[in-house]
Amino acid sequence: MSTLPVVGHLADIQGRPRRLWTQSLSWVLFLIGIFAYTQFSIVRHKENPEDRVIPSGTQLWQGIKASVLEPAEEDDSLDPSATTFQRITHSMIWKDTVASSRRFFIAIALLIPAILIGLHMAVFPYAEAFFLRFVLFFDKIVALSLLPILFIVFGIDEWSKIMLMVIGVGPTLMLDTYNIAKSVPREQIVKAFTLKSTNLDVAYRVILKQIMPQVINSVRLNLKPLALFLFAGEMIASTDGLAYRIAIMRRHMGMDIIIPYLLWVAVLLFGMDALLRVANRRLHPWF
Amino acid sequence: MVLAAKVLVKEVRMEKQHAPVEIALRDVSVSYTVASAGHKTVLSEVNLDIYAGEFVAVLGETGCGKSTLLRLVLGQEFPTSGSIVVDGKQVSRIDARCGYVPQKYSLFPDRTMIQNVMYGPENAYCGWPGRLLPSYRAFQRKLRIEAEEQLVRMGLRATDLNKYPHQLSGGMQQRVAIAQALMMKPPVLLMDEAFSALDPSTRASLQQQLRGIWQELKPTVLFVTHNTSEALLLGTRLIIIGPHRENSQQSNVLLDMALPQSSDTIAVRKQSREFLELREFVKLQAYGSHSRQDEIQPVPETFRQGELL
Repeated sequence: MSTLPVVGHLADIQGRPRRLWTQSLSWVLFLIGIFAYTQFSIVRHKENPEDRVIPSGTQLWQGIKASVLEPAEEDDSLDPSATTFQRITHSMIWKDTVASSRRFFIAIALLIPAILIGLHMAVFPYAEAFFLRFVLFFDKIVALSLLPILFIVFGIDEWSKIMLMVIGVGPTLMLDTYNIAKSVPREQIVKAFTLKSTNLDVAYRVILKQIMPQVINSVRLNLKPLALFLFAGEMIASTDGLAYRIAIMRRHMGMDIIIPYLLWVAVLLFGMDALLRVANRRLHPWF
Repeated sequence: MVLAAKVLVKEVRMEKQHAPVEIALRDVSVSYTVASAGHKTVLSEVNLDIYAGEFVAVLGETGCGKSTLLRLVLGQEFPTSGSIVVDGKQVSRIDARCGYVPQKYSLFPDRTMIQNVMYGPENAYCGWPGRLLPSYRAFQRKLRIEAEEQLVRMGLRATDLNKYPHQLSGGMQQRVAIAQALMMKPPVLLMDEAFSALDPSTRASLQQQLRGIWQELKPTVLFVTHNTSEALLLGTRLIIIGPHRENSQQSNVLLDMALPQSSDTIAVRKQSREFLELREFVKLQAYGSHSRQDEIQPVPETFRQGELL
């Protein structure tokens, strides 16, 4: 047990709350949220027992069951003898998650060159001269305004949505990597050259290796913009995906499906962020 | 007292050197265009011959151009006019002719102590494709032993070899940085205020160690420092750089002199009367040329008893 005194009041900057306090406090807002939702739902259901705007706990549970165990409306229904595993892997949420994840990960893979361009811009003066002004300008173009052009160029299939994500986040990631790489002390580069490094050694073995944890943090911060662009594309033109389903359900006032979907997207992004955070710590113990 | 010190310096004027010239600066000037100050000259008409095996301490006020001088030799900056030759070749880019130990950021933070020291020789051995060959593994094993020896020679413990720089104290980091530079066996070692961020006892210990290594390996050292005592105790030659005076064609090199050498340890030398007198004289030359000149006092008796800076 800590021997440090526990400073009493909540507004004390020098306060040192015990672990139990810290854990408890971190859950308070979640509990308040659930409580407020339940109260609003009860009030609305007293006025109208068929209310679908703020579904009750039972309605939400039915919605979750339908999302997780039943296929989408547009798909064939499952054999009643199907196992739970088969039901899950043919369910609406599974199908939408796979479709959205595929687009998401292809976009992330296509963003790797953006990181390398940012690195090269910072390290090689000729690359900086070639790219920087254009990237700074391109970064200011609102990616969503390019959507009509993307639909014309790539059609309304997968690539328009993937490219929307790449174009939306790519320049930001490039500039972020550029700034991070530029902040590597000059002494490190000078030292590396005195130790017989080649240009590529300096770029990849000295600078990229050093900035990798910060680049991963930058990717973590860009997960939400990526999801935002994915949702924009899926809501406008798609036949599957998490955002497509939310858009469809909005027309039917299907809040019992929309709310579980929203929470599922948040859980997915939170999980991915946590995974990257842990990987960063494991791969870069010196950071 | 100052006069006495001048007499002392006369006695130790630079002797004619017989070693080959390792670093040669010819009519070197450096000037910049600064938005607020217009044209600013940092170095003017600097001519220097630094001989192989010399330990040259460079002293001067902040902003007088001593670090610029070091960066010119390193190839990190280029003169506005004049030429610089290191190890017989014109300096046109940063390369492995010079080892470099800066004041900070001297180690790669993503590499352990031993990896930092092995980094240079690994590069020198082969390029990327060669690292896939089995012979590279054998080379690495041999190199590791050599790197460990180098680190132990620098006073580091074998148990710390796998620590990252952020786990090391400032003194340990600088020891590793020196070992890292020495692994490449460079003909020239450039040190830019390498000990200035260290506490006095670590600094004293590193000075002793650096002096020992220099006596053993005899690289040519260009050691930029603010610390007069450090310059006098380590160097075989002292160069004082002064600020450039506008509209003057005079060189920035205010003083270029050989320093008295002794077989005594640094701790003993820095308590000697000769050292204290010389230090006062050098301080006056390096830092007392303006308003502070009047503030310089004769060497107090307490210094002669061995009180330190």
